[in-house]
Order: sequence, then C-alpha cells, then structure tokens
Amino acid sequence: MDERDTQKGKYVTFKSGEEYFGLKIQYVNEIIVFQEITKIPESESYIKGLINLRGKIIPVIDVRLRFKQEPFEYTDRTCIIVVNVKNIVVGLIVEQIAEVVEIQEENIIPSPSVGKADKSQNKYVYAIGKVGDQVKLLLDPDRLLNDEEITALDPNADAENEGEE
Amino acid sequence: MADGFNTEDMLDMYLFENQQLLEKLQETVLEQKDEECFDEDAINEIFRTMHTIKGSSGVMMFDEITSVSHKLEDIFYVLRESHPENVPHLQLVEHVLEVADFITNELEKIENGETADGNASEIIARLDVFLKNIKGESGALEKKEEPKKENSAQKFYIAPAANVASSKYFRITLTFSEGVNLVNVHAYKAVYALKELAEDMIYSPEDIISDESCVDEIFENGFRILLQTQATEEDIRKIIKAGYDIEAVDVLECSAEDYRIGFGDADDQTIQIDLESSVEEIEAKAERTQEQIMQEAKNKTLAPGDFVIQAKEPGKAKKLAKDKPKKGEKTTFINVDVAKMDQLMDLIGELVISQSVVLQNPDLKVPGLSLDNFNKSAAQMVKISTDLQNVIMSMRMVPLTNTFQKMNRIVFDVSRKLGKDIEFVMVGDTTEVDKNIVEHISDPLMHLVRNAVDHGIETPEEKAASGKTERSKVTLSAKNESGKVWITVEDNGKGLDRNKIMNKARNQGLLDYSKPESAYTDKEVFQFITLPGFSTKEKVTEYSGRGVGMDVVLSNIASVGGSLEIESEKGKGSRMIMKIPLTLAIIDGIVMKVGNTSFVIETGAVKEFVSVTKDMMIHDPDQREFVMIRGECYPVLRVGDRYHLEGYQTEVENGMMVITEVDGQHICLFVDTLVGKQEIVVKPIPTYVKKVKGLSGCTQLGDGSIALILDGPGLVD
Repeated sequence: MDERDTQKGKYVTFKSGEEYFGLKIQYVNEIIVFQEITKIPESESYIKGLINLRGKIIPVIDVRLRFKQEPFEYTDRTCIIVVNVKNIVVGLIVEQIAEVVEIQEENIIPSPSVGKADKSQNKYVYAIGKVGDQVKLLLDPDRLLNDEEITALDPNADAENEGEE
Repeated sequence: MADGFNTEDMLDMYLFENQQLLEKLQETVLEQKDEECFDEDAINEIFRTMHTIKGSSGVMMFDEITSVSHKLEDIFYVLRESHPENVPHLQLVEHVLEVADFITNELEKIENGETADGNASEIIARLDVFLKNIKGESGALEKKEEPKKENSAQKFYIAPAANVASSKYFRITLTFSEGVNLVNVHAYKAVYALKELAEDMIYSPEDIISDESCVDEIFENGFRILLQTQATEEDIRKIIKAGYDIEAVDVLECSAEDYRIGFGDADDQTIQIDLESSVEEIEAKAERTQEQIMQEAKNKTLAPGDFVIQAKEPGKAKKLAKDKPKKGEKTTFINVDVAKMDQLMDLIGELVISQSVVLQNPDLKVPGLSLDNFNKSAAQMVKISTDLQNVIMSMRMVPLTNTFQKMNRIVFDVSRKLGKDIEFVMVGDTTEVDKNIVEHISDPLMHLVRNAVDHGIETPEEKAASGKTERSKVTLSAKNESGKVWITVEDNGKGLDRNKIMNKARNQGLLDYSKPESAYTDKEVFQFITLPGFSTKEKVTEYSGRGVGMDVVLSNIASVGGSLEIESEKGKGSRMIMKIPLTLAIIDGIVMKVGNTSFVIETGAVKEFVSVTKDMMIHDPDQREFVMIRGECYPVLRVGDRYHLEGYQTEVENGMMVITEVDGQHICLFVDTLVGKQEIVVKPIPTYVKKVKGLSGCTQLGDGSIALILDGPGLVD
C-alpha cells in the first residue's frame, strides 16, 4: 500500500505533436526504446503491430494516429511506453518522453467541454493538470486503448465510453 | 509478518503434500489390485503414507482425517508385522481406496475454503471389523518377526572360498555377565569378529542392533550362534574370549544337519547370515527375479564385509515379493509454479535474442579482426542455449501416466459395482503430451472408459448367453503418430449395434431422406452417437446412458483441435480413437517470408513445396488463379495479396508455392521465400488486436523477431 502512496499524483508525461500528455504512473509498466514492429494485417491503422518485449508479445499503437493526427517519422527519440490497463498490456508509441511530474490534486481540473458535441474531441483526456505554467493533458488510458475492444471483452466495462462514434 | 506463523502457507503445503501422497497411494494400490496380496514395498508405502497423513492432519487438527488414517495405518501395521494369512485382498483394496477417497474429498473441501465436515466413523467402523478379521486369522503369528529380505550381489562375497565338505559346524553360546550395558552391542561385536572365520552363520536373537528388547533375551538364554567355518574350535575361542563382558563361551561342534535346522522350531527369530551366496543362489532360494536382486544390490550400498542377510523362510519371501520385476527407478518430481516456468521460458527467449545481438554485433564486422576463438566459443554458447530451449520445451510435456491411472480406478470401481470382471490394460502410458492438453482430455477419456465398461462390456449373463469365453478387457493405449497423440479406448464387449443406432437416428429425424439408409457407412452411423441426447442405452445407469456423454466428449476433444474416430464390430467390441495434437504450445513449423513479414505454417499441414514457372499458371475470368502441377490443378492464394503486405514477390518464378491441405482440399500458398523449419512456441495474438482471419497466433523466432502463424481453414473462408 505504501507503494501506491509514493506513486500518488505522479504522471509520466510525453510530447505528442505540440501538446504534452500525462499518464498516471501506476498504469505504466516501463518505457522502452523503439524497436522493430511486426505488422498485423487487417487491423486498424493506429495499431502498428506487435513487438517482442522480452519474450512477451504485445501490441503497440501509435498515439499520434490514435489521436487522428498526422503520422510522424520514428526516430531514435521515439519511445514506447508500455502500459497495463486492466491486465491488457499495450505499448504506446510516442514521439518523446518528457518527464515524470507530480501534479497536486488541486492543480487538476476536469477537461472543459464545450457543449455535448465537443465530447468526442477530448474523449481521451479526462482532465488537465497544471505544472507551473505548463499544462498537461491527462489521458484516460482506458479510453485511449479502447473503442470497443475491451468493452467487447468485458461487458462490465465502464459506461463512460458512451457517446463514442 | 509479525505473527510469524503463517497457517496459510502451512495449509497449502499440507494440502499439496497429502494430495500427492494420496495420488501415489492410489497408483500403488491399483497397480497391485489384481495380485493375491500387496507386496512388501506396497505395504510399507501405504503404511508410511497413512502415517504421514495422520501426522500432518493431526498438526492441522483435521480430526476425522487423522482418525481414519490412523485406523488404516493400524491395519497395515498388522499386515507388516504379522503377515496374516488369507487377507481378503480385494476387500483391502477397497478399504484403502475408500479411505483415500474420503481424505481426498476432505482435502478438496479444505482447499475450497470449506470446513472438512465429513464423518469418517462409518469407514472407521468398517476398518475395525476388517482389522479384527485379519487379526483373528493371524493371532498365532502375531509375534513373528518379518523376515528381512536383503540380498547382495556376488561382489560382496567376503568369505574365503568354501570347501563345504571340510567345513565344520559349531554351536556357540555366549553368556554375558550381569550388568553389562548394551549387551546387544557386545553380541554384535562377537558376530563381527567371527565373520573373519565364517563361511556362514546364524545367530539368535536376530535383531541385535535395532531391537533393544533382545537384551533381556540375551541375558536369559545367552546369545547363540551357529557357525559354518573351516576354522577349529581353538580359533573360535581365540577370537571370542571370556572377559569382563562375556561370562562364558560355550563352543560345541555339531553336524551339518544341526546347522541346517538352525535353532529349531523353538525359536524362529533367526537370521541366517549368508556370506557366500552368489546372486544365483540367492535367487534360487528366495525365488526372486534377477532384476530385483540387481536392483536391490544397486540400491543397497553394502560395504564389503557387511552382513548379507537372507530370508529365513523363502516361501514367505516369495509370497511377498512376487515374481514381478520391480519397476525401474521411479522418477522423482518437483512441482513448479507454472508462472515460474513461463518466466523461465521468456527469459530463455530473451537470452536467445541477446545472444544474436552479441553474435551479430556490428563491432565484430570490422575488417581484419581475428575471430577464430570467438567463433568457437560462440558456437558452444549457441549449442547450450539451443539445448536450454529444448529442455524448457520438454518441461511442458507430461506423461499420460497419471491420467491413465485415474482411468484404472474408474474401471475398477465401475466394474465392481456392475459385477463385471474386467481386465484393464494400459499401453504407452508414458507418452508425453502438453500439460494443457492433458487437462482437456481427462474428462472425455473418463466418459469413454466408463462407456466401455458400462455399455461395451457385457454382463456375465449376457456373456454366457452369447457364449463368449474370453475375459472382458478394456485397453487404454496411447501412441505418437504423425504428429498427433492417438489415445485409444478399446473393449472386447458387445460392440455398437448399427441397426439400433439407425433406428434411433430415424426416430430422431437425423437421417437424410435423400440418402438410402444402406448408403451410410459404419463410420457415419457411429458418428451419430456423438450427437447431443443420443443414447441407445435403454436403461440409464449411475455411470452412463443419459446421452450427454458422447457429445461432451466430442466437443472437449474438438476444443483442443483433436478428433474422435469410432470403430466397432458387433459382438467383438469397439474402439474409440482420440487424435489429439501433441501440444498447443509448441508446433513444428515452416517459416516463410512474404515481404518483410514472417509467417509460419504447421509442418503437418504442408504437402510439398514447388517452384513453378509462369506457364503453369492459369487465370480465370473472375481473376482467380490456379496452378497446374503434374497434371493437378490447385487454387493459388498469394499471401501478400491476401494481407495487403508491402514489397512482396509478385513474379511466380522468384517465389515459392507451398501446397497445403485444408480440410481435405489442397491449396497453394504463394510466398516469397522459405526460411526454414523450426519448432515454435505458439503465443496467442494479444486480444487487444482484433482477430484476423487465417492467423491463429504468433511466435517469436530465434532472432527475436515475430512471425505470424497461418491457419489453413481460416485462410480459405
């Protein structure tokens, strides 16, 4: 239980496009350098394929493509954040890892939405964290991974996925 | 951590150990159920097992288990110590199994977090009756000591070459002074000293080292030795002299006849120390098999000069030991957490990757390096890591022995209850299968075996009516064949009745009316019995006949990619053949490349590889492609097209055709290159990725890259 306390309020932040995103540290297993990916045919474009993580085969998704942004060139700064969400291990390809920051609870505000129509715009971001004068978009990894995959596996998956396309 | 006394762990350990013990116990019991009696090893084993269970259950305060195991221990104590005659063996077997079942049941309850509330008093009462019975039989023999059966090979022969004709026989009586401590040790000292001279010797009381109670007897009657020797009385007296411990030494020469009689009927607590028996002699005396003696000789690391003790009553030894060759050295097992094994497997995978990283390191490619020694060491390392991989693969494989043993139990139980005398034969039970598969086939196998015993084998009355004389037999066999394990349940019972099945099928509307009934092959007809709710058994018994069995069997088998074949001949018996893949986890595959992607296809599915030329290709107006190979026309599936890969080979001359068989139909897969044949560890494609048709999994290749496993049926639809 102590472990959780030390992790409380800590976020791994990474840069994607112009924005900085944050992921709660307890979802993050590890961060690895980019490695060769085996493509899987017939799958969504943001699912880049499979990597071999020390004998464990895990799927990787490209966060930029997931956000429906322009694809980017993978370089040696490209990293894979291995996250574990509800026992599903997935690698997230991100342009650049920033840092691990601590964000106080009072500095986290729910992500503002402009009416109902706006909802789909920030479905991955559940809140915004302020660190100094910077802003980190805090990601809900659950929503990041799933449109329907986990929901399909787990009928009790959270009802927050409502309103998706 | 403060409480320091973790009952949880203790309980786990308790359950684990005792379950193992019980399993082993059942195995032993069933192995010898058809014998006249248990052999001595089995008796000892059951005794020890019960003792252990009693002890640990006592500690854990499971009183019912304690008392029932205690009772059974009592019975085996009597068996062990007094060898009662005419023990009803089958009854004993049943009692042991009953106790084992009771305890197993209780342990299960405990495991599931329930209270062990079973009541053993009935069983105990039955055991009591049984105990009284055998005790009554053996009352006279109660006191008799069990003959020791230890033999030795000739190499321990220490006495000087005996010229039996000139041997003399002495009867020596040692009287010890009152008040000597540890008189038995002094007696032993005398025996030890006499060994120098002895060609053969007997002494009484026999158990001077471990049995403290013999002390009294030695004081009372003296310590008596019968000695066969070349030496004279004087020599003996020189060795054993009266002293502070020995009050008097009485040496009498006697005849060979006397010697043979030993200490006579008055006292059968004797041991004949046979110092010069060759293996053959011992064998002849004890009527035991050579193997057994060799086995024991091997097991017992007798130092030269150690006593070689032979059973006083060869008859008993024979009865106990049976003419059955002892099983080879039992393999010892430890149970390992599967998670740890998976971890080991992953680590080895990682090792292989980093190995290739090291060996193909760009730094090594600098020109002018002399790498001879490096390459030698590297080759050695590659060899070791390959071995390591093979070992971990084989670790997942378990023999079918345990599963088969369970079936043995079922046959025993069911046949007893139904009053059928059945011989159960197991063949090839050491065939190894992946652990996961074993779990899946245990249930279907049980159904099949029950069916064979209940439906297949006739009752004694039916047998008499049909004039069948041979003993009913159920054979369970396993063998490896063409990459699969064939498990066969065969009986020599009444077989399947085609007409009955046809009638039933007609009544249930299962027949295809456009097809004449005679056109159904036997195989097709017999397949009807695997349909849900189909049972031709008029009477539902405790064991089978509800028609739920066979369809469950079939679906279970199918779930691990196996199939079931039924063969039968009316009046002669039937045979159910399960064909199960060896493993779900490891397949023998052909690695192929298409573009940058590696694919694997199961070797068993590949018919052949063919290089084709353009003029062999045929295109039809629907853009379908065929290839003519040796007069046969095969449809072509270009894997690159199918999966929209990049940079794959389009010229047929530069690629390779792989002819595979899918559900009896042949198709040609067109791939770029063949990489090689490899044993691969099948891993599921992570569930996060949607299922892709034609891909059944993925695997990690030796270089750490990932290959996708092609699955024939999926590719076709």
